[in-house]
Amino acid sequence: MSVYLASILTNMALISFLALSAYLVLVVGEISFGQQAFFGIGAYVTATATVIFDVPVGFALLLSALCAGLVALLLAALTLRLSGIYFAIASLCFAELFRLSLLQIRLPLEMDGRMTGPDGPEGFSNIRWIFDNNFEVVDFLSLTLACLGALLMLLFFVERTQIMFCARLVGKDNILAQSMGVRPNLYRMCFICASGFVAGFGGALFALFNTHIEPQMFGVMLGVHALAYSIIGGLGAPVGPLIGVAIDIGLLESIRGLSSYRMIVFGGLVAVLLIVFPEGLINPRFVNRVRSRTRPNV
Amino acid sequence: MFEFRKISIGFGGMNVLRDLSIQIRPGDRVGLTGGNGSGKSTLINIATGFLIPQSGQILLDGKLLTGMPAWQYAREGIRRSFQSVRLLPNVPLQDQFKAEVHDIKTLRSLLQESTLAKYLNQFPSEIPLPIQRKVEVVRALIANPRYLFLDEPCAGLTNSELTAFAVFLSNHVPVDCGLIVVEHRRDLINMVAKRLITLDSNAQDSQTSHA
Amino acid sequence: MEFLQTSIDGILFGSAYALLALGFSLIFGIMKRINLAYGSSLLLGSAIAVWVNEHIGLGALGLFLVTITAAALVNIYVERLCFCPHVGKTGVTASMIASFVIWMQLDEISSQLLPQRTHEFPGIEIGSLEIFNLYLRGDQILNLWVAIIAISALFLLLSCTRFGLLLRASADNAETAKLLGANLSRIGIVTFAIAGFLGGTSAFLILSSDGHVTPLFGLWSTFKGLVAMMLGGVGSLVGAVLGGLLLGFLEAHTTNLFGAEYRDITTFGILFLVLILRPGGLMGVAHYRTDRLAHERI
Repeated sequence: MSVYLASILTNMALISFLALSAYLVLVVGEISFGQQAFFGIGAYVTATATVIFDVPVGFALLLSALCAGLVALLLAALTLRLSGIYFAIASLCFAELFRLSLLQIRLPLEMDGRMTGPDGPEGFSNIRWIFDNNFEVVDFLSLTLACLGALLMLLFFVERTQIMFCARLVGKDNILAQSMGVRPNLYRMCFICASGFVAGFGGALFALFNTHIEPQMFGVMLGVHALAYSIIGGLGAPVGPLIGVAIDIGLLESIRGLSSYRMIVFGGLVAVLLIVFPEGLINPRFVNRVRSRTRPNV
Repeated sequence: MFEFRKISIGFGGMNVLRDLSIQIRPGDRVGLTGGNGSGKSTLINIATGFLIPQSGQILLDGKLLTGMPAWQYAREGIRRSFQSVRLLPNVPLQDQFKAEVHDIKTLRSLLQESTLAKYLNQFPSEIPLPIQRKVEVVRALIANPRYLFLDEPCAGLTNSELTAFAVFLSNHVPVDCGLIVVEHRRDLINMVAKRLITLDSNAQDSQTSHA
Repeated sequence: MEFLQTSIDGILFGSAYALLALGFSLIFGIMKRINLAYGSSLLLGSAIAVWVNEHIGLGALGLFLVTITAAALVNIYVERLCFCPHVGKTGVTASMIASFVIWMQLDEISSQLLPQRTHEFPGIEIGSLEIFNLYLRGDQILNLWVAIIAISALFLLLSCTRFGLLLRASADNAETAKLLGANLSRIGIVTFAIAGFLGGTSAFLILSSDGHVTPLFGLWSTFKGLVAMMLGGVGSLVGAVLGGLLLGFLEAHTTNLFGAEYRDITTFGILFLVLILRPGGLMGVAHYRTDRLAHERI
């Protein structure tokens, strides 16, 4: 496999984490413009852990996800009363506050003759884990795909549980949920926290892969893209967001001559698709119909 | 006993309910009626925790419920239906109950109403209205409620469908469950209710004779 | 004295934000939807004007007319694609999503039209005046006057014309308004066109002050407009203007006290606090209540 192809696939896998993170929030009925902050938290925590504190990478990944998850829990707690555009903008503020704060944190360090450490707008360079451990791009792709695969399996199993049903109930009809004794705020907090965890994990891998991260990478547009993938792919199943990623980065990128106009085409395509599929391609109604057909007859 | 104690609420300067006190006992069959805007839906909303009264208390067996969130009312055993049918649009009928019951075998044994059985794989948009209304009631009954509030359950039903619905209620609502039905249509109230509360400027409580 | 100067600077600059916020508020107030592509529509309108100017010179007046016309037309395009197909309560989310997807598209088109990043924007130039030792920038005074005229004109339109009445009626209850003779489709187009003209004017004034236009203008105006609108109270026209002025005021003082670096952090921080503590904004907009029942009649 060529390095170019492996790179593209790795990037697709990494952004899939972010798209799945947006998906988890969409499931409980909210649109979040702030998931990129959790991605960024994961990235910076892993960078700091592996470079400055020489933490073993597995531990660093989990720690990053945990930190991002806790921050997401904080956001969820603060925004319990908010919904719709209010929640969306609040999450956007939160994310921008994070990014802008990063610009102010300047703690450059020199290690092994190279400049590293979080240095405001210059970012955090020389995250050398893949070099120090002789990881080729293909190896990293395998690692990322393994993690993504594990996440998808987990989501696939959770999908069939009552937890997921109640979460979707809360997302679809809050009032109906309450009338059935389901506690909306609990599900909101859990799923937003989980979304932070997932995004943080993705961000951690991103930091290792990119070897250089800076605050500008975690701006609004990153979150908006991930959200778009999630929405067009569909909210019916965890594979939905991945399809959204595949359509943009996979399909459109691969059509020659189209790639510089990719965003123009993708944007228009999604808007048109939304007219026909307001809940995405792999939408809940479609998934439920397939499930009920394939179910052993009642 | 489920008690409304001196409940008052108003919107935009207009009093809707004023010092309303009602007591409902397990097994009661109550009909609630009144003109448009007399506060019937408001009463149900307050009784089920979706609206907080400006003064007064809601008590369940002496326990104060006022101010608790709606989901907690539901967990205490107070269930309701809504004026317009509220089923999950993207979910087939057998899954509409999933928040209460996850296992489909238990569900089937609980669903003795055979008219629902053939619709189990259908989506709400494919199910006729009388069945949808029954589903809402069944969904509430699966949770073994202590008090069930139905908000205009026969809106949109024909007279014969209404009669069938009344029979359905009589057969399936447990004896110890208190049933409160808000309905414009007198036929349903006459068939189901043993007690009638009329909301106007004062709540009038009267026994209806049951044919 | 310095306090007064800074305050005046802030409020004058804030009038630009007020105009932006008015555009957002108009759409939200009338159609109960958020048009996230608004800032980018204004960018595209300005980019088109600049592009035309670079090929066939236009005077300042010509530039102005092309800007507002292009902005209005792009806005109508957004309305047709993102808002018209999604009607009713369930369409609210879908239209917001479609609008932010188009946001990405319009930004990209603008970047294509402005390949050199920074392009000259030869708008009008106005000098400044000095009164009582206070230094007032002429272009900002013009901003303020335009804002005042615009909001007065809007109020006149909404309260004194039959069209305005239909507009307000359809905001309240679309079904009934239809029975009263409102052509919802036409109302949508006209509202968006008005928002486009308004925003185009705002963009023209802001970019004239700056002297140049960059593709970042889209994100910038979206942020400022949204923040100002939410500070003032979503959907309130008066709130939009007050929110804009307040935002300008706060930014001026923050820059004065802490330096320009902290200006954006303060903006987002204040908005976040407002959303958490008083989501209704300055006007205490009753749209928002913690009691979900206020949104729906059940």
